[in-house]
Amino acid sequence: MTPNQPRLVGARVARVEDPRFLKGEARYIANIVLAEMRHARFVRSPLAHARITNVDTSDVPDGVAVFTGDDWAEHGIECTSRYEGFQPATMPILAVGKVRYVGEPIAMVVADDPYLAEDAAEAVMVDYDPLPALTTVDDALADDAPLIHEHWDSNLYVPRAYASPDYDEETADTLSISARLSHSRHSGVPMEGRAVLAEFTAGRFKVHTATQIPHLIRTAVATAIGLPERDVQIVSPDVGGGFGVKAQAYPEEVACALAARALKVPVKWIEDRREHFLASHHSREHTHQASLHYTEDGTVRGLTAELYVDMGAYSVFPWTSTMDTGMAMGILPGPYRFTGYKVDGFPTCTNKTPYGAYRGVSRPAACFTIERLVDWMARDRGLDRLEARRKNLVRQEDYPWTNAGDLVYDGGSLSESIDVMKEWIGYDELVESLRDDRKKGKLRGLGMAIFTEQSAHTTEEFKKRGVPIVFGYETATLRLDPTGHLTIAASIHSHGQGLETTLAQFAGETLGLPMERVKVVFGDTDQVSYGAGTFASRSAVLAGGAARIAATELRQKLTRIAAYLLEASEADLVFNENGVEVVGSPGLGVSMAELCRITYQRPDLLPEGELPTLESTKTYDAAPGTGTYTNALHMGVIEIDAGTGGIDLQKYWVVEDCGVMINPLVVEGQIHGGVAQGIGSALLEEMIYDENGQLLTTTFMDYLLPTAQDVPFIATRHLETPSPSTEGGIKGMGEGGAIAPAAVVAGAVEDALSEIGHVYVSRVPLTPERVLGHIADARRQQ
Amino acid sequence: MKSSPNSTISVSVTVNGTNRSADASPRTLLSDFLRDRLGLKGTNVGCEHGYCGACTVIVDGQTVRSCLILAPSVDGSDITTVEGLASNGDLSPLQRAFQQAHGLQCGFCTPGFLMTASELLENTHGTLSEEEIRSAISGNICRCTGYVHIVDAIRAASEERTS
Repeated sequence: MTPNQPRLVGARVARVEDPRFLKGEARYIANIVLAEMRHARFVRSPLAHARITNVDTSDVPDGVAVFTGDDWAEHGIECTSRYEGFQPATMPILAVGKVRYVGEPIAMVVADDPYLAEDAAEAVMVDYDPLPALTTVDDALADDAPLIHEHWDSNLYVPRAYASPDYDEETADTLSISARLSHSRHSGVPMEGRAVLAEFTAGRFKVHTATQIPHLIRTAVATAIGLPERDVQIVSPDVGGGFGVKAQAYPEEVACALAARALKVPVKWIEDRREHFLASHHSREHTHQASLHYTEDGTVRGLTAELYVDMGAYSVFPWTSTMDTGMAMGILPGPYRFTGYKVDGFPTCTNKTPYGAYRGVSRPAACFTIERLVDWMARDRGLDRLEARRKNLVRQEDYPWTNAGDLVYDGGSLSESIDVMKEWIGYDELVESLRDDRKKGKLRGLGMAIFTEQSAHTTEEFKKRGVPIVFGYETATLRLDPTGHLTIAASIHSHGQGLETTLAQFAGETLGLPMERVKVVFGDTDQVSYGAGTFASRSAVLAGGAARIAATELRQKLTRIAAYLLEASEADLVFNENGVEVVGSPGLGVSMAELCRITYQRPDLLPEGELPTLESTKTYDAAPGTGTYTNALHMGVIEIDAGTGGIDLQKYWVVEDCGVMINPLVVEGQIHGGVAQGIGSALLEEMIYDENGQLLTTTFMDYLLPTAQDVPFIATRHLETPSPSTEGGIKGMGEGGAIAPAAVVAGAVEDALSEIGHVYVSRVPLTPERVLGHIADARRQQ
Repeated sequence: MKSSPNSTISVSVTVNGTNRSADASPRTLLSDFLRDRLGLKGTNVGCEHGYCGACTVIVDGQTVRSCLILAPSVDGSDITTVEGLASNGDLSPLQRAFQQAHGLQCGFCTPGFLMTASELLENTHGTLSEEEIRSAISGNICRCTGYVHIVDAIRAASEERTS
């Protein structure tokens, strides 16, 4: 970067993608209409575990097509881990012979109109022979449990275990505190449900699907149908939120493709909200049996844990059913520098909806466990909660730090974030004033959680996770046209994260281009290179890095050409909104449009050997591939209504460090949104199953999402410690907001009740009923 | 008189200032009528049970959930949808405020918020407080923004109206 060059990185640029959404011109799949298009509806299992004895389609009206499991029995979505002993569970397209969760697709009808398709689906009659439903990990792992997949040895996908070499030594002769901690089952619940529109023309599939991972879906669909990937195009246009729910391959994507081929018409399926709760993949449900080991002065020495994760009925593509367990095993030690660690993982098969990704993937549960334990240790040792954390955090001089779970933390500002937070919120006075409030009978309390967020992890990390596809990189192609306009075609996606803006900022700056000259495209496998897509807080780092490296190559070429045309030294050239100019000689230069026009259209003017093209494709893997770590400290103040058990979340503060920020406005938006989802985890969201495996929460009246009256103003402060390992020093941060709120609110509840008695909050969400239980517990101690 | 669910009824409405007529079945939701019969795809459908507010439109001056209303019941009404906010392709002050404040992410709930905020601004004199804004939008769910920037956007639009 030379002086006089406009800075885009770090600027609070308003998003360039917004106008189409604001004007109602977005291209969500539901808005796409194709000639001859017909509408699909799925018949879904009303039982959690049953043999299918008969499927009768004779009452389906004429003119409506119907498909059942036998039609597509040879197709399925397989995702088998490379871990030894993993028991595979291929997901059928339509159930064959047996159903394993409520909501599993059994049959598909295709009609001229979506209303008629719903009517026709009602006419499909299925007979069942019910089997016992296994709805908890405990039930599924019981010695006499029936097998959900008959060819398995038990209902455990694969046992996992890890112990640090010094576990025994570090944890000998320590104090311990133990608990069983759990997160309820919930999910990302984007406002747009899933949606598919499939066509088959000229021997080739074009499948529109609302997904975060277009190329991986191409792999899944091509593999399920048995085709070269060349013959499948996946288009994911505007996507109305993802949060991980749309980062899995689903049977409906394959079903719509197969139906379109069979019927020779485009087939559209728009998921309704009830289907979303039943059949879009769930997440978050963890139970940890954990013990923290520490010395009398409050130094943490070790952690012992058993992790039980309820993965539902099938292994999901591309993650397998071990991802949450594996990630939790690595990150459970949190930002702390103890080294003694022993962990066992139990990813378990149950008769519930399959379990996939949700913003934060296992880290909200992991953060909850370690932060609750540290709070309890602080209470046991009589330490201030914040100082108990500081005492045990990874220190600046420790980086790079290999944590007890074998993750390599590349850098951060943990202790500094405590200093900033304390000063910013007036911590000492706040603690005093809340204590005074409590003495007056108010149930007000403060909670806190500090964490590191692994982001943009690639080859080394995913190799460890045993996934069949290692998500190692992303690719971007930059193309300048003869008018000096840049197109960035990237292998990621964006479904709210603002990457049309931030990639343009990050790469456009290198070429001195103003925002309006840069266009970012993604989401169409015919237009972009193979890549994994958007998840795991990776897209800005990986696609941004690739785009910036490609931009640098284009800049070098444009510099050579401009120097030749201007008869100037390359070192004297600067890129700015006017194009390329000679430093110190305003007006002496060549516009970007002219430079690009000459390159393409007057090759006779180019330096000898310079090819007349301005394109660059680069692939970036953020080596070493172990991830770059964002860190954050969250704090919140609540007040409990002792009568109703309701929690009023009054204040929420975030001090975070995601390295160099491309666009602070977008960073803050991501933090706010993540925190709001975390507040949902803390207070409201819970998929409740009855003992027969019926999901009872299938509308927004039963499954509560946070509203503007549940989420307070969320205040943010930024630290900017550049990543040592990424292009431009940026770090991923999209998931972080969601990680800490459950731990914060749980700690605040304990603090709020501390005048009455000592309670241990080990389960979220903190519904009014559970809070009343904690109040009763506290009162019993009096 | 008994009508089949698939018989048709002609429905005439004024949408965004233009008279429009189309056939609908007795059970056609207003959201589907707007989207599929009139081609106004800007109104998104998020839950189809009247909770999330994504499909909010203004009928005869009041916001309604278009997924909870049958199209034949609004025959003769005056309807404003998100497509009616911008004029000649230029964003309205409210839409501009949403862009400036980063009041949207995935955009799916945005048309509903814009319609709710339009009604709020229309019925307010003076600048809105954070509390008033939060109360007014508490029937619209946004899963992306945590509402902070939406509140900022509506407040900025309200300040612009009163300045």
